[in-house]
Amino acid sequence: MSFWERLLKIDRKIIFILMAVLVLFPLLKPLGLGVNSGPRAKAVFDAVDAIPPGKTLLISVDFDPASMPELYPMLVALMRHAFARDVKVLLCGLWITGAGLADKAVTEIPPEYGKEYGKDVVYLGWKAGVDAVILGMGENIKNVFPVDYYGHPLDSLPMMQEVVRLRDIPFMVAISAGTPGFSDWLLYGQSRYGLRVGAGVTAVSAADAYPFLQSGQLTGLLAGMKGAAEYEVLVAKNGYSKAYMPAVAAMDSQSLAHLVILILVVLGNVAFFATRMKRR
Amino acid sequence: MHISTDIWTWVAVILTFGIFSFLWKDNPFYKLCEHLFVGVSVGYTIALTWYNSVYPDLITPLFRQGKPLYIIPFVLGLFYFARFIPQASWLVRIPMGFVLGWASGVAIPAFFQTNIIKQIQGTLLTPGIFSRWDVFLWALISFIGVICSVLYFFFSREHKGALKVAADTGIVFLMIGFGASFGYTVMARMSLLIGRFQFLLRDWLGVIK
Repeated sequence: MSFWERLLKIDRKIIFILMAVLVLFPLLKPLGLGVNSGPRAKAVFDAVDAIPPGKTLLISVDFDPASMPELYPMLVALMRHAFARDVKVLLCGLWITGAGLADKAVTEIPPEYGKEYGKDVVYLGWKAGVDAVILGMGENIKNVFPVDYYGHPLDSLPMMQEVVRLRDIPFMVAISAGTPGFSDWLLYGQSRYGLRVGAGVTAVSAADAYPFLQSGQLTGLLAGMKGAAEYEVLVAKNGYSKAYMPAVAAMDSQSLAHLVILILVVLGNVAFFATRMKRR
Repeated sequence: MHISTDIWTWVAVILTFGIFSFLWKDNPFYKLCEHLFVGVSVGYTIALTWYNSVYPDLITPLFRQGKPLYIIPFVLGLFYFARFIPQASWLVRIPMGFVLGWASGVAIPAFFQTNIIKQIQGTLLTPGIFSRWDVFLWALISFIGVICSVLYFFFSREHKGALKVAADTGIVFLMIGFGASFGYTVMARMSLLIGRFQFLLRDWLGVIK
């Protein structure tokens, strides 16, 4: 058996082990390859930066634990950015399995900036019926969420005196792992109530989001773990946070893994054509 | 190195290894973790649906606050269960018809506006594209790409002559699109692996920050 034939019959377990080692190594010993922020992440950052202090940023937590490594860092970075600028944060969710994740962020992040629940941050929770939820929020948030995730009546929360409907929110970011997600916020929130929407999406759905970006429907886009890392860098660079950046820390592993996949794809193709020529 | 003493972290670690064990081959340990995942997800969904939607939005207003109008969604909801009674299964058509009618009425205009009108506007060559050379270039490429890709799916005429040239160009754009999707998919999968390794190294073993 020739070298190329052996290469084509390589056991997949060897590739798995190789990938595991390549991902583990930079996590233990960071390479410091760095992350550059692109224009799409910058657009989301600028939009959040333009919200006047005291006004509200809406974040929709439309993901589940399966997409947590890519999307949770976005949620945390966005909240840190908002709180550092005294912007209030209103959270809700269209994914039932994301309810616990938003609760985790609401519990952990506001205390870092001395922010109070009810005054600076409110988590509405999850409700069934995507279109009805968004359309209802466009009319009056209290009609859809009479109480928040923790059971407090919305009337008892000072922050909710100023945020009555979607038109009171200057910008929102839908952090989505699929459907329902940013597309539903565009469908009902933007087309009907003129809500400005930014999106943070998993890498799998990034290609679907690009057309909305080019048509101007999406203000900006954070795509996958790279998008999360870009946002973390922007928040840190502008002095809004000094906290640990999990997405940035993961980018060395990501880059190394991609490099090896590229090499394997090229080698696999060369091996395929080399063996085909030999067969002829 | 500070190994976690939290029991739930250890449970998560064991389940993570259980799922990873599939990489070697399918096995009962993997199956147990998979079924546990599905079971927990369903249980969580049922509990949250009850406490976040059904109880506060239907049971409380109807039975505790005495709002009689809520009887309508209550009965419509019960009709879904008519599926289990053959003689009354036709009743399920009523709530389904209501939901489909309402949802179509709401979704079709919004969908048309968001996914068709705005996308056509975004593709058109407008005076604004002449503001910068790079904007003009990308707008032109996007315009050609859309036209050629759509022509590739035009099957009412044989693909020959100018149509063939346009369709072949469309294939190039489609391949670039699929390539970008594939690249992003690879990134997503690697991100999930990295996320799990970060959990093992940070939350479980405590060897990274």
